[in-house]
Amino acid sequence: MKTPSLAYVVEDDRITAVITEFIVKKDLRYRAVQTFGNGQLAFNQLQEVVRTGGSLPDLILLDLNMPQMDGWEFLDACGALPLAQEEVRVFILTSSIQPTDIEKSTQYKEVKGYFSKPLGKVNVQRMQSLLWDAGE
Amino acid sequence: MLNLLEQHPELAASITCNPVVYDFLQNSLTDGLWYWNLLQPAEGWVNAAFWQTLGYAPDQVPADPAAWRACIDPTDLAAAWQRAEACAQDSSQEFDLVLRCTHHEGSSAWLRCRGVVLRGNGSSTPWLMGALFDVTKEKYKEASAQEVATHYSSILSNQSVYIVKTDPQGNYTYVNDFFYERFGCERDIIGTSSLLSIVEEDRPKCLEVVIQCFQAPEVPHQVILRKPYRDGSVKSNHWEFKGILGEGGKLTEILCVGYDVTLLLENLQRAQHLLDVTSQQNIRLQNFAYIISHNIRSHSANLTSLVQLLSEAKGKEQKTMFMQMLATSTEQLADTIVNLNDIVTINNNVSKPKASRALKAEIDKTLDALSVLIRQHHITVEVAVPPALTVTVVPAYLDSILLNLISNAVKYRALDRPAFIRLQAQATPEGVVLTVADNGLGIDTVRYRAKLFGMYKTFHDNEDARGVGLFITKNQVEAMQGTISVDSEVGVGSTFTIQFHENP
Repeated sequence: MKTPSLAYVVEDDRITAVITEFIVKKDLRYRAVQTFGNGQLAFNQLQEVVRTGGSLPDLILLDLNMPQMDGWEFLDACGALPLAQEEVRVFILTSSIQPTDIEKSTQYKEVKGYFSKPLGKVNVQRMQSLLWDAGE
Repeated sequence: MLNLLEQHPELAASITCNPVVYDFLQNSLTDGLWYWNLLQPAEGWVNAAFWQTLGYAPDQVPADPAAWRACIDPTDLAAAWQRAEACAQDSSQEFDLVLRCTHHEGSSAWLRCRGVVLRGNGSSTPWLMGALFDVTKEKYKEASAQEVATHYSSILSNQSVYIVKTDPQGNYTYVNDFFYERFGCERDIIGTSSLLSIVEEDRPKCLEVVIQCFQAPEVPHQVILRKPYRDGSVKSNHWEFKGILGEGGKLTEILCVGYDVTLLLENLQRAQHLLDVTSQQNIRLQNFAYIISHNIRSHSANLTSLVQLLSEAKGKEQKTMFMQMLATSTEQLADTIVNLNDIVTINNNVSKPKASRALKAEIDKTLDALSVLIRQHHITVEVAVPPALTVTVVPAYLDSILLNLISNAVKYRALDRPAFIRLQAQATPEGVVLTVADNGLGIDTVRYRAKLFGMYKTFHDNEDARGVGLFITKNQVEAMQGTISVDSEVGVGSTFTIQFHENP
């Protein structure tokens, strides 16, 4: 199994961002976590990394409702970046339970899971199995 | 040619001498005989058949020889007297009239009397010889036929159904009183075209049904047509057309029966409108429910996670950090609930009472409240609103809308050039239109149009932005059946346009 290295947390609520970062490090064993207050900031960083050849995140935890650039716009923008399908996996982590959101998320190939907050035990276990049982 | 009695003298002799022949004739040919002295009207004679016709058994016949007078209606008797006198004067006059009599049971009986005046010879008394025939049954039939005719004519002219006939070319040949009252105008409409009296858009529909009448006569065909009423308003009528065939199987006329369905259609449209409004409201409420659940959930999720992390925290430093976050999170939840309460209030009071307000005065009031900020940031404010212009609004909503839009213009003013805010308003046929224009930061409307009025959307890196202002403004405008739109360009400015809905 590849050692998880870098994860992005894209989340406008600061407290949620801190909690998520904490759990990603503790339970998903990521050594480095970068947080972004909205999709635009995360996209700018991703674009920069692609351009300069820096290290890409292998997981992005993405909130949907955010100012400036929301989760969907972020996904649309990333679609234009030269990223390999399996290179960067996206988990949507949102407090939305709107059925149309869940439906919409299945249309994005890079989205590997849809999680409703809070990031409790059940959600963490599901994330672990999705990440670790992927045959690596 | 010889008459019967001249040809058969023995019959003439029998009639005068043989009581059997005489009785046969008087009883089988008539329902009574009447013999009346034309000099003394009290003197007269009726036979047994007369009494029998009036329902008297042989043993019930009154003994008084003048009793017959009481059985005949006095007016009719007087008329008979006059008529008999006329006949006595002029032998070419005929005596033939109907006498109303009183039946033994008290009901009326009508006896037709055909009479002949017998002058007698020389100075002898003239007599009327009357043959009576019971026409009571015919009289009743006639009365009932009259009643039926009256009945139908009252149906034809009744107060709620139009009855119209046209010839095969569509020209009116008959209209009932009700139709005439409503659509007759001043002139006579018989002979005029029924098609041209219909609203132009409905004429093809009418023609189509007429064609159906030709193709399938004697069967009703339905259609709803609009027609101008005499006061100028347009009424919708439901019609049943039927082609009537004459001799030879050719269509000779079209019978049209209709009634007014204007109110019905109006109610239907009103119901449809109500349904549209309700479904829109339902969608809005459903979205709103999602928004609420999202906002509450995001805080409750934080609280749940923090409590979990706190219980597993290692070291005092971590504990203090989580504790601090917990405190912040509960405060945010409280704020959110206050915000939601503002919004629920709008959604709850869709039918808040509206009142008329002078727009200019309300704008001045709002500018007064913001005067410190406006002066502090050297913002030029121009108000081009006629002082007399009024809007029909929920007053609290108007206050909130103006405050939101103007304070937004202040908050997101341009920092690199002299800032201005321009308020303009004018009356249009659809209601008052108010524009609030600034030369501020502007918003990328291409990117954000769909979200601009959404909840918890912020578009600038402003720490104070709650993302509820425009959401509330839009909801308040829409709760008053108005509309709000925006035109904006980054670095140039924004113009918000509100269309007020005038109905109270």
